[in-house]
Amino acid sequence: MGPVELLHMSVFSQSFSPCGRFLAAGNNYGEIAVFSLSAALSPDASQASQKPILNFTAHDGPVFSLLSTDTHLLSAGNGEISAWSWAELIKKSTKAAWTRKPSYETSLEIPEINAMIINPKDNSLIVGGGDNNIHIMDMETGIFKSVLKGHTDYIHCLCFKEREEEILSGGEDGAVRIWDSRTNRPVHCIEVFKYEECARPQFGKWISCLATDSDWMLCGGGPSLSLWHLRSMSPTSVFPLPGCQREAVFYQDLIMSVGEGPHVSHCLHGGTVKAQIPCTPSSLNTLALNLKNTEHRVMTVGGSSHQIDVFTNFSYRAFSLSF
Amino acid sequence: MSSDAVKKRKPKVIRNETGTPETKRGRAEGDQLSAVSSHVKFRKVRLRQVQVTYPAGPHLIGQRKLFTAKTQAVRVYNEEVELEARDPQQDYMLYKDTCAALAKLMAEIQELKAGGAKVGSVEIEERRTQCSVHFITLKKLNRLAHMRLKKGRDQTHEAKQRVDVLHLQLQNLLYEVMHLQKEIGKCLEFRSQHEEIELVSEEEFFQEAPAEISRPHVTRDDQHQLTLARLDWELEQRKRLAEQYKMSLARKEKIQKAIEQKREYLSSLQPGLQNIMQASLPVQEYLAIPFEHMQKQAEVSRHLPPPLYVLLVQAGAYGQACDKNLSVSISGDVDEAKALSRPPEDSQDDESDSDAEEEQQNTKRRRATVGVQLDDKRKEMLRRHPLSLCVDLKCKDGSILHLFFYYLMNLNILTVKTKVSTTTDLSGAVSAGELLNSESLLNCLYTSDHGKETPNPANRYQFDKVGITTFADYVSDLGHPYVWMQKLGGLQFSSDSALTGSALSASHMERTMKLLRGRLQARLALHKQFSSLEHSIIPVSSECQHLFPAKVVSGLMRWTMMSYQEFTELGFVQHVLKAGLVRETDLFFMAVVERGTARLLAAVVMNPRYPEVAPLFSLSLHWKGERSGRTDDNLQAMESEVNVFRSELQGPRPGLQLLTNQIQRLCVCLDVYLETESQVCDGSEGPKEFPREKMCLRTAR
Repeated sequence: MGPVELLHMSVFSQSFSPCGRFLAAGNNYGEIAVFSLSAALSPDASQASQKPILNFTAHDGPVFSLLSTDTHLLSAGNGEISAWSWAELIKKSTKAAWTRKPSYETSLEIPEINAMIINPKDNSLIVGGGDNNIHIMDMETGIFKSVLKGHTDYIHCLCFKEREEEILSGGEDGAVRIWDSRTNRPVHCIEVFKYEECARPQFGKWISCLATDSDWMLCGGGPSLSLWHLRSMSPTSVFPLPGCQREAVFYQDLIMSVGEGPHVSHCLHGGTVKAQIPCTPSSLNTLALNLKNTEHRVMTVGGSSHQIDVFTNFSYRAFSLSF
Repeated sequence: MSSDAVKKRKPKVIRNETGTPETKRGRAEGDQLSAVSSHVKFRKVRLRQVQVTYPAGPHLIGQRKLFTAKTQAVRVYNEEVELEARDPQQDYMLYKDTCAALAKLMAEIQELKAGGAKVGSVEIEERRTQCSVHFITLKKLNRLAHMRLKKGRDQTHEAKQRVDVLHLQLQNLLYEVMHLQKEIGKCLEFRSQHEEIELVSEEEFFQEAPAEISRPHVTRDDQHQLTLARLDWELEQRKRLAEQYKMSLARKEKIQKAIEQKREYLSSLQPGLQNIMQASLPVQEYLAIPFEHMQKQAEVSRHLPPPLYVLLVQAGAYGQACDKNLSVSISGDVDEAKALSRPPEDSQDDESDSDAEEEQQNTKRRRATVGVQLDDKRKEMLRRHPLSLCVDLKCKDGSILHLFFYYLMNLNILTVKTKVSTTTDLSGAVSAGELLNSESLLNCLYTSDHGKETPNPANRYQFDKVGITTFADYVSDLGHPYVWMQKLGGLQFSSDSALTGSALSASHMERTMKLLRGRLQARLALHKQFSSLEHSIIPVSSECQHLFPAKVVSGLMRWTMMSYQEFTELGFVQHVLKAGLVRETDLFFMAVVERGTARLLAAVVMNPRYPEVAPLFSLSLHWKGERSGRTDDNLQAMESEVNVFRSELQGPRPGLQLLTNQIQRLCVCLDVYLETESQVCDGSEGPKEFPREKMCLRTAR
């Protein structure tokens, strides 16, 4: 990892460990780095504790998506999903537990996997990627149960509504599709760019971030970040954020989103942007909140830099972990 | 009684003077005779009628008879004999009595006289007579006393004489004893020369010496004889050895003469051999065995200073063994080199001496200024050895890299000057001026080997003495002292490896030669590329065409060179500067790619070690506003495309196409970007191209 490579590194995905003491981050060179949060947050943290405790090459292509189950870390890159046991990773062993590939129609090029979520109800893994389809895999058996087709362009993000057991997917084609996970059928399709208040044609129509909180849905990307009421299927508030947002989450009564531009935006449900916290990368790709562990309740953001900013108090940047 | 009467009583008196010792015996007798006449003279005075005999000479004791004309027997009154018979104590009593009687008589006379007696009265006369008798007695006693005294003295004297004689004898004897003792001592101390001769030990002697010399039956008992025998044997042996020595000398002389003769013969052969050599020259050339040439070179190389010699040997060996296109030759003034090597200690380290000499000279001439003196000292310090090595590296395309190696004697470092000669004419590339500049051609052959500072730490002290602050000022004149060169010459200045001398040189030779050749080729290729780049043509060779799609619309508009100063002033390169990837020794260029209204500025940082270290691109796009790699993710993607994925763009070995391929890729990326961007916005640009997967990040379209 020479200095030139470091200069051009981008962090695409993050995931906290089930115990909440470790953070895994994936970058555009296919590497996954595991950081020890407890070491970095401890009072006698030093320069060395901001370096990963383990850094290994997981995939050939960039690691676009990381997901943690109770025991494993799932990573998806160029068309294949690998699972790594957290216990093994903490012990610095880099042998994958398993590696699976959803069946793709074309074998010309291997589509990348952009998003993964877990359906806790029936313990299945939902992946969406470059082949415009959503694949559902059973975690125990590892068999890909079903394929949800509907998107006309590749899928950027996935989201799961627990109460209704619905899968939301947003893609390059600008549509947010809602699927029923039990029947595997599309329920709704919202074309966000068709709504004038959200649409931003200069950026395109693609949806790159989705988040739900019971009845509410956040989506953004080419169109501005907007809060939708799902029952009425209409946008309630539109957030005037300049760049394209790539990830957004609900947190208590705030909405936090990251995207183009070197800051994390805190927004209120009403549609106002409360604060924009500056951070080191020039544009951000991923935001993660460590809610499982009360001790290390941090927010980490990563983007087009080899550094991952850590926020202990969500209002300002505390320090940075670096690859 | 009158004195006359007394005198008359003794008519013939033999009077002797009290004599002196025995040696006057003869005279004494004569004196006796003369004493008679003197008696007559002194009759009135002397009352004494004494015959004294000398104490010595027993024959004189006793009565002596005086021989006169008449046979008159003279009775000699010998008072001496009488003296022996008398007792001194009695005499003393007699004396006292006499004195008393005399006193009494005197008193009586006094009385009588006082009583009125007459002067010539009988009683007084009687008493006077008695007094006179008493006086005579007294006189006799006095005489006796004197005689006793004299006798005593004489006896003492005689005894003393005897004692003296004996004493003398004793002393004589003592002297003699001492003398003898000394002589004995001397004899004992006498070191005969024979003891200084080292003799063989006794056992050897008895073993080796023939019986007639050793005579064991005699010598075993007698030490003296043994020593003599051994000396004899020694002498014999020495004589024998002397004989042998003479013979050996004679032989040596003969052999010497023989050698001389042979030498002359050989030297007479020399001109003949020379002729043969001359005649064989054309044969050598024909057969391509430069025997003569190599001999000549070997001759000259003997005068090379050690580092240059090591370099010569190693380079020559390498050239013979591995690399046919490497050739080494020596150039320079051999006579000067010979002159240098003749006085063994040149002024290499004797700074103070040369300074002293210089100062003397200066005072002899007019007083030179301090500056001139310092200058002279500096020149002296920076003096080059008159011989230099020329190494030629030939490349396949005919261009040659000439390296001239010089040795700075006082500083003990090697420097190099370069020259490139090519078959084709290199011109028309303005930006390439720096490339083949001899100053910077060999910059950073190994990382951070700038060749501006001297690698010998000892030089720092030498510089301080003559006031040179940086060596860099003299580099252009004297050549660059690169570290790899010192290693090639076997000079080791850092404590990294334990190799010195030839081993060090050999270990570095191959790598350095390869690097040099690679450097030359890279630079030449770059030169060619630059000349076409300046004409806005990106020269992509046929091997690399497959890396790019067939149709590329964006074109290179401009290619210029920048200085380090200008580079640092650019806004969009700060991240590169901050990351510490740029150094002053790098070369900086600016490329402008245009398509339609969009202009892409690319600042290129090229490390002198191209193509091992890839050029670094920083992009800034002017199209509907200004974006740079920092602000726009797509531009960053383009940058990483060109910077990070450079291994694909290397092209065929040795990867000299890297730069042009990178530029071509930039154009392609720009195409894609513009087309996809504009697709979204207003679709005014050209036909859609299929975006390759690489460009499809989450954020790209």
